[in-house]
Amino acid sequence: MNRVTLRKTIVACAVLAAALLLAIVLMSLLGSEPLPVRASLCALASFGTSPCGLTQDQFAILFQIRLPRILLAAAVGGSLATAGAGYQALLRNPLAEPYLLGISNGAAVGTMIALVFFGTIEWTRPILAFSGALVATFAVYRLARGRAGATPERLILAGVIVTTFLSSVIVFVTVLMDATRIRSFTFWLLGDLSGTSKALLPLTIVITIAGVLALTLHARSLNLLMLGERDAFDLGVEVGRVRIVVFLVASLLVGSSVAASGSVGYVGLVVPHLARLSLGSDNRISIPAAALGGALFVIVADTVARTIIAPRELPVGAITALIGAPLFIYLLKRA
Amino acid sequence: MSLEGHNITVAYDHRIAVADVTLSLKEGEITAIIGPNGAGKSTLLRTLNGQLSQSSGAVLLDGEPIERFNRRNISRRIAVVAQEAELRFPVTVLEFVLGGRFAWATHSGWGWETDRDLNVAESVLRETEMSSLSTRLMSELSGGERQRALMARALATEAPILLLDEPTANLDLSHQATLLSLVRARCDQHRAAALVVTHDINLASEFADNILLMKQGRTVNSGRPAEVLTPEILQDVFEIRVLVDAHPVTGGPRVTPVHEPIRVNRDRGSV
Amino acid sequence: MIYYGRSVRTLRNQFVWIAVVVCLALFSACNPGRTANVGPSREITDDAGRRVSIPAKVDRVVSLAPNLTEIVFAVGAGNRLVGRTSYCDYPPEAKAIAEVGDTIHPNLEPIIALKPQVVLVSTASQLEVFTQQLQGQNIAVFVTDPHDLEGVFRSIEQIGEIVGEKDRANQLVQKLRERTNAVEQAVKQKPPVRVFYQASGEPLYTAGRDSFVTDLMRRAGATSVTAGVPGAWPKYSNESALAARPEAIILPTGGSMGAANATVVEALRQSPAVLNGRVYKINDDHLARPGPRLVDGLEEMAHALHPDAFGR
Repeated sequence: MNRVTLRKTIVACAVLAAALLLAIVLMSLLGSEPLPVRASLCALASFGTSPCGLTQDQFAILFQIRLPRILLAAAVGGSLATAGAGYQALLRNPLAEPYLLGISNGAAVGTMIALVFFGTIEWTRPILAFSGALVATFAVYRLARGRAGATPERLILAGVIVTTFLSSVIVFVTVLMDATRIRSFTFWLLGDLSGTSKALLPLTIVITIAGVLALTLHARSLNLLMLGERDAFDLGVEVGRVRIVVFLVASLLVGSSVAASGSVGYVGLVVPHLARLSLGSDNRISIPAAALGGALFVIVADTVARTIIAPRELPVGAITALIGAPLFIYLLKRA
Repeated sequence: MSLEGHNITVAYDHRIAVADVTLSLKEGEITAIIGPNGAGKSTLLRTLNGQLSQSSGAVLLDGEPIERFNRRNISRRIAVVAQEAELRFPVTVLEFVLGGRFAWATHSGWGWETDRDLNVAESVLRETEMSSLSTRLMSELSGGERQRALMARALATEAPILLLDEPTANLDLSHQATLLSLVRARCDQHRAAALVVTHDINLASEFADNILLMKQGRTVNSGRPAEVLTPEILQDVFEIRVLVDAHPVTGGPRVTPVHEPIRVNRDRGSV
Repeated sequence: MIYYGRSVRTLRNQFVWIAVVVCLALFSACNPGRTANVGPSREITDDAGRRVSIPAKVDRVVSLAPNLTEIVFAVGAGNRLVGRTSYCDYPPEAKAIAEVGDTIHPNLEPIIALKPQVVLVSTASQLEVFTQQLQGQNIAVFVTDPHDLEGVFRSIEQIGEIVGEKDRANQLVQKLRERTNAVEQAVKQKPPVRVFYQASGEPLYTAGRDSFVTDLMRRAGATSVTAGVPGAWPKYSNESALAARPEAIILPTGGSMGAANATVVEALRQSPAVLNGRVYKINDDHLARPGPRLVDGLEEMAHALHPDAFGR
């Protein structure tokens, strides 16, 4: 494989971005209610200014239900994949993933607290989710500190401990809730994009874009960090600073995703892996590629989740796991 | 450029790893640090490049305390060659060596390699005889080739000060000599200064202009190899009998440890 | 040596016999599925198709669902109830009874400690695994799982029979039937209203084909737009809810549910139901518990959907 250049990166990202745009358009034509294809495409092309023959209900379905949900799926997928790529580079372990490290569960506990105590005030959710993710990150890091420093192995182990502990907390809170709420909560814990809120969606998209940019701007440092913290230090990387930035940005990305849609698993594991496998380990190309790829992955998975047993719905996390788990096993075998 | 350590003491975990060591690296010269395990050699090296903080004393880079420099500035002046590389992700030799150009990037975290970066990388690969391997994955290389890649990356930083931490530990005889010849060439041609931490006394004797002999964190002796590598001094430091004669080719001191078999005399009951 | 061989063989044989006897004894003691309540008993088939052997006289019952607690009290056997879940809050007298956990996770030990003869279970709580453990303790487990109002009436009659209050149960069912018929008669002439039942919102859940609420809505003079959706409480797609254009929306809220589910989901804000102000909040306890109060819920729904049929 040849080294990565700016041109290569731009080409790869352009191709993925085009695929993403195509996916957004195509998936918005699919759903539990059939929509006329031509009229829908026309309405999409006009950015919603002209109904193009769609009935009022069809227009509402397309622009108020489907499109926001697809955009949320893209934001969630992009966030989780980028966070995963960041953790993998920082912890020098291809298996580092927000869920495995307990970050997702920390964000989930934060969101649950927001839901139980501040139910209707929506913006408390991403804030508390972010806090939860940070607390989990901090706990993992403290647990992992040993004589030899926080080696990736110790971090993953500490992450598993934190994950299982927080899972118990989640179950505990769920049990305390009444029976009617439990159903919807279990669904949310597996990832649910149906609750796209008008208020949170723009915030989630902004956070995704900002987070992806922030991590990409540190890609070169991450390239060196990936090959050893001490070596990176010797070669001029401000290791402590980059570590803090990655943890903060990744926690923010995971927090905003979980607050909006619950825990969607495997995205942060499988997508960055695929990106590195096809484009190389250079983070300057693999991080933006993972972001775009993650968006694509979750959009498609969510479309399956909301059409396969229509008009009923499956949690999107179930689909990402169904696709992600075998894919992951295959990747492990290849490695 | 210069790198000096004055009265450096490094203590951690209630241990004193380095006690009151003073040294100064000179342009064009190779300084070797030798000593038994636990002598504090690597700790001293890591203090000189700013990774570890000294408990007392001063490390001066170009006359300024090293704490005043940010990481990138230090890396432009000091390059470290470690024993081995952590290779958890696939990376080609060229990408690996280009990592050495990071300190010269205009944008610290982002940015792409310039033509100059590529030229330097290519010339360094030639210098280390790795040009034919530039597109191979680091994980596919042999131990000796990987060490040369590490050397190449350090050279790619164009830093005038080279710190090498047991660079020949995993190399066979031929590669050991090749590596140190590279360092010698750098010092001779580019007026670099090098500090080599090594276990191999004879290698140090052959290549180093100065030797710093350490034991339990302290400097036992320092000076030209002929001055430092004497049987009395070495036996005292390494607690083993040695013979020192003249190397048949270079004429410098050649150190041979004497492994006396332990005779147990049953009748006399004494060793 | 001679004595050694023969003695060992006899010893070995004896040992084998002892082992066989011990194993048989153990095996019979561990044999599951034996509801050996001693004494005269009768067999009733429950909603899971199991033939349950119940003692002739039952005076210790545990209920593992709120609706079952209500039924036991309604047929006059409240004094025979020795255990309930933490959700069983009606009638108020029920709160004096010992708790054995909640509907989803009842606690095996307190149940066994209460020495009930029968444990009443609702499959809405997914307790199949649990029932096996109780059977192993010689406690009869009776499962109810009504899918419609008739099924609820049958549950009342069966429970009445179990606790020995057959007459009172029949009387109760009679009265409930009268009230149900009255409602059905009143709304018979009116065109059925297209209704969406929002079991919970964000995420959106509704009543499906197998839910008794669907039958209830039909009798209340409504057509549930989700009547054909498989399952009892499916998670429903927002766009399908919107496309269904319901004329009215039922919001089960309040009661033990508290303030939850008090607003219509975002997707239905522009539906005819909302635009015409036909959103009806009804006490969730009257709609979610398949017991006597379900008929209260039936009446409340009918009155809300067809006020003119009841002279309002």
